[in-house]
Amino acid sequence: MKKFFNPTTQLWLTLLARLILGGVLLAAGWIKAMKPSEAAASVRVYEVLPVNIANTFGYILPWVEIGIALLLIVGIWSRWTSVAAGTLMFLFVIAIAQAWARKLPINCGCFGNGGITADGKVHPWTYATEIIRDIGLILLSIFITYFPGGKFALDTGSENHENGGGR
Amino acid sequence: MAASNKGSSGKGDKTTRNLVVGMILLVVVAGAGAALASNHAVKSASKPSAVEASDGDGIGFNPNAPVKVDFYEDFQCPHCRDFEAVNNGYITKVITDGKIHAVFHPMSFIGNESVVMAAASACASDQGKFLQMRAALFANQAANENSGIWSNAKLIVLGHSLGIASTKYDECINNGQYLNWTKNVEDYAGKANINSTPTVLINGKPIAQNTYLNATAFQAAFAAAGVK
Repeated sequence: MKKFFNPTTQLWLTLLARLILGGVLLAAGWIKAMKPSEAAASVRVYEVLPVNIANTFGYILPWVEIGIALLLIVGIWSRWTSVAAGTLMFLFVIAIAQAWARKLPINCGCFGNGGITADGKVHPWTYATEIIRDIGLILLSIFITYFPGGKFALDTGSENHENGGGR
Repeated sequence: MAASNKGSSGKGDKTTRNLVVGMILLVVVAGAGAALASNHAVKSASKPSAVEASDGDGIGFNPNAPVKVDFYEDFQCPHCRDFEAVNNGYITKVITDGKIHAVFHPMSFIGNESVVMAAASACASDQGKFLQMRAALFANQAANENSGIWSNAKLIVLGHSLGIASTKYDECINNGQYLNWTKNVEDYAGKANINSTPTVLINGKPIAQNTYLNATAFQAAFAAAGVK
């Protein structure tokens, strides 16, 4: 795996991936954390979880995003935090896809502003771009999982890292 | 040598790392905990006199009228302002004529400014001026969310401009008497699965999305429910 990049390039690429993935998650989490009841409504409109569980999930999710984002940005356990971020994005893709399939007229709510769309209509193109964006972020998370650590990281990214064992 | 390509990733300074982990964990736990704790109804909240406890502490009018209409609005929501501009004359008329049992749920999901505006509408309700205050708050809606223009002093001036003379209103605003009550309203709206504002329920059923800004269609929905 390591043969594709020279080590220095890989360190910088991992840093870049960490900053993009972490930055997006941090922004998404922070915006939603500032408006908890809107965040709860954003989860409810996907009609996946029962109302009371959706509300609890809506209050907690932004802070989980913030936590994963901060760990990614400073570079702690990045192999595992990127797995967590990628899993989260995968769940978002499923949530959006099922909303699209069921023709629910809702906003993503990914960066706040969730709920029913202003005109009460389904916007397929918006759903499509959101899914493409999340898949892009999943690819970044996979990259970090294969090449954890990176420049300016506080650790190697994985306690059992093949190169990190001797430290 | 084994760690040669990790040269920049710290010199195994586990203390620094653990400290950072601890801080991040603290932020997450404190944030999530506060979000969970602060978004619940407050049983001990003081409530305006027109409140209907059986209906999520909404502000009620004409409880004996046959047709019940619930209004879920946020005073900072631009769509609610537009809805209000189109339909307020009709809504006020059917309420003052005693034709509908109206319950208002002033929500606050847009933020702190919504909270103080909703609490002020409750203070005005105690002075018999809820409908006027509701109209005035929408008419004076700020261009930006949570801009902070609604200081206590401004809310008091607005109330006085509507003919409220009692010092109780001023005290109600200054003491933040109904700030906690807004949490009850918001909590109820969340449990009632209200996901957009405005939401109007006639006898428990939401009206069609395309009727909100169409006065004719809006009044037809009321007529269909028996409001003449």
